[in-house]
Amino acid sequence: MAIETPTINAEPRERLGTRYSQRLRKSGRLPGVIYGHKANPVAISVDEKETLAVLKRGAHVINVALEGGQPETCLIKDLQFGYLGDNVIHVDFARVDLNEEVEVNVHLRFVGVPESAKKPGSILTHPMTQLPVVCKVSEIPGEIKIDLSKMEDLFTVGEVPLPPGVRTKLAPHIIVAQVTFVAEEVVATPEAAEVTAAVPTEPEVITEKKPEAEAPADEKEKK
Amino acid sequence: MRMPKRIKFRKQQRGVLKGNATRGNYVAFGDYGLQALEPHWISARQLEAGRVAAMHFLRRQGKVYIRVFPDKPISKKPLETRMGKGKAETEYWAARCKPGTMLFEITGVSEDVAKQALARVAHKMPIRCRFVGRRIAV
Repeated sequence: MAIETPTINAEPRERLGTRYSQRLRKSGRLPGVIYGHKANPVAISVDEKETLAVLKRGAHVINVALEGGQPETCLIKDLQFGYLGDNVIHVDFARVDLNEEVEVNVHLRFVGVPESAKKPGSILTHPMTQLPVVCKVSEIPGEIKIDLSKMEDLFTVGEVPLPPGVRTKLAPHIIVAQVTFVAEEVVATPEAAEVTAAVPTEPEVITEKKPEAEAPADEKEKK
Repeated sequence: MRMPKRIKFRKQQRGVLKGNATRGNYVAFGDYGLQALEPHWISARQLEAGRVAAMHFLRRQGKVYIRVFPDKPISKKPLETRMGKGKAETEYWAARCKPGTMLFEITGVSEDVAKQALARVAHKMPIRCRFVGRRIAV
């Protein structure tokens, strides 16, 4: 189930900071850092195209060969994105052992359409597209395939077919996919117009002083 | 049209829309989204027009999420009024939108249909927008 570990070549970064990182990005490199296992962190740069291709394949573990040296097994720990939130600008690699247990998010691939989703007005939605799992580094699945063709209305975490050696910390009742029905748009009728007229057009101001007409009435009674 | 149910103060200062969105700038609930590329106040009326345009096109196929909420009261003086005499009454409610803000999201439809639906929504927006999918996640 686990995909083959790809190897990427990295170069150490001698000059750090925003300007030098921007220059690297312009030249087609991606700044990153390797840390963990009580060794010193190393600032590196990797080839952008090569790394993004590996990331898009869903790889979690990568062998990073620094200047053609001995490759280090690393887990992709974090990605930083640019200002529009989609282009990768920095990668964090964490050193790991193949027998170490780690927590990673694995992509869920949905296959098939349930019978209930074929009815008019029904939609198949999947609130969860990734599942956080705990497993050994060598057993991290590339993706988890979920067959929805036999699903009724709900598919929960407890029903996800996890590969051997892989478990999740999520509660089994959490919804992974569900079939919902879309309500029809209400056509404007005189009755509906009355209902909308009854809805207040201004929000309630919670700090506004209430009219004093009610308060003095109690005071008068006391007197 | 959408507006808050309860507020603390009736009127607000205008504020400034500096910088880019650092939150709400990725597709979180749906599969595809419409991302703002310019800063602007988006009125509740414009958001509603976008929602209606998407719903009419989708015809009960997919689910539409609106990721921004018009919680800023915008006041406007009536026409031919002399200056002064205090701040005017609230004219409409608007959502603050910075470059990168995800405005709408769609799920339950194919990419082609989502693209067409969000293109119709983009026409109702007062700013340039772009169609985006889910980003790489680890």
